[in-house]
Amino acid sequence: MDQNRGNWYLLTGLIFGLIMGIVYAWAIAPVREVDTHPNLLRDDYKDIYRELISRAYQANNNLPRAKARLELLGDEDPALALAAQAQRYLAESGDNEMAKVLANLSAALQQAAITAETPPPPASPEGEEQPTGETTRAAASPTSSDPAVSSTPASETTAANPAPSPTNSLPFILQDSSPICDPTLGEPLIQIIATDAEGKGVPGVKLEISLGADPKEVFFTGLKPELGLGYADYLAEPGLTYQLEVPESGLLISDIEVPTCQTEEEDSYWGSWEIYITHPN
Amino acid sequence: MSRWTLFLIVMLVGLGLGLVYGWVINPVSYQDTTLPDLRIDYKTDYTLMVAEVYHQENDLDWALNRLTLLGDPNPLTSVENALKFASQAEYTLPDMFLLRDLHNAIKETN
Repeated sequence: MDQNRGNWYLLTGLIFGLIMGIVYAWAIAPVREVDTHPNLLRDDYKDIYRELISRAYQANNNLPRAKARLELLGDEDPALALAAQAQRYLAESGDNEMAKVLANLSAALQQAAITAETPPPPASPEGEEQPTGETTRAAASPTSSDPAVSSTPASETTAANPAPSPTNSLPFILQDSSPICDPTLGEPLIQIIATDAEGKGVPGVKLEISLGADPKEVFFTGLKPELGLGYADYLAEPGLTYQLEVPESGLLISDIEVPTCQTEEEDSYWGSWEIYITHPN
Repeated sequence: MSRWTLFLIVMLVGLGLGLVYGWVINPVSYQDTTLPDLRIDYKTDYTLMVAEVYHQENDLDWALNRLTLLGDPNPLTSVENALKFASQAEYTLPDMFLLRDLHNAIKETN
């Protein structure tokens, strides 16, 4: 019988040792990596990194450098990631200032993408202005191992001509403010669409909404780029009357209340409110 | 050799193989790293960003707060490491000046 049991006990020992080794190597003393890449950072550290990139952009207005730095994080859409982070900050911590900084960089990236897609106008006879040779726009980290930050583009027009900031332009005027009945929206929203004189969406416009004397909630256009650069919305509570302010323009829109609507089958639902603001011609 | 001795030897062999597998062939996939784990060039760029913001906003407390996240013994060490790497990597003069200004500002408070 002993002979028949053979060497199975050795196999048991081997398997037992193997399992112990793997458990130790994976759970008790796993390999600790150092010298890692930013795309491996934990999500909260990625948030800190994006914050820093946005603040550095605010300080030096160097969009190519900011873009190269953002690419290190490996976000599928850096502009969208910034906008999403800005929204989270507004919703969770109420950090309006940081949300605006993030939103500004998101807006600048989106503007640059649109500019890149638009064919340039024919050159004027006097030629276009060339950017001055500011060496701060040279490599952020000129190591050959990371070409993403090893150099900035030779034509620095995006850095020399940054995306226009809404705070530096004409104030907004109210174009239209009205209730709408759209069953496809699914929820009662106060929708704001901010455009420039040419009808293009303007991101980064600060909006404040309140119920009269109550504390204001702040949000910005452009945080949902999939709905348009100049778009913002606020989930309204039916039955309440809101007022919306565009503080940088001194524009105040009152008596905003989502309407009751009816479908074709005469079912009731809560509608929305649409506000169009624009720069005057 | 007794059965127990053989069992122990084979178990140790299994343990060794398990360690090789877990540490070398298929180590834990490393995600969710922290800022101190970053490679030196990324840490240097991080420090440069802090220097860029400090240059504009002059908020040393904020700069120190961001630098401590790099995990060095103190923020001055982080900037000194960054200066050293930046010098070796031939960063541009304006960037070196930004790092140096930050370094001097921190040194004055120490």
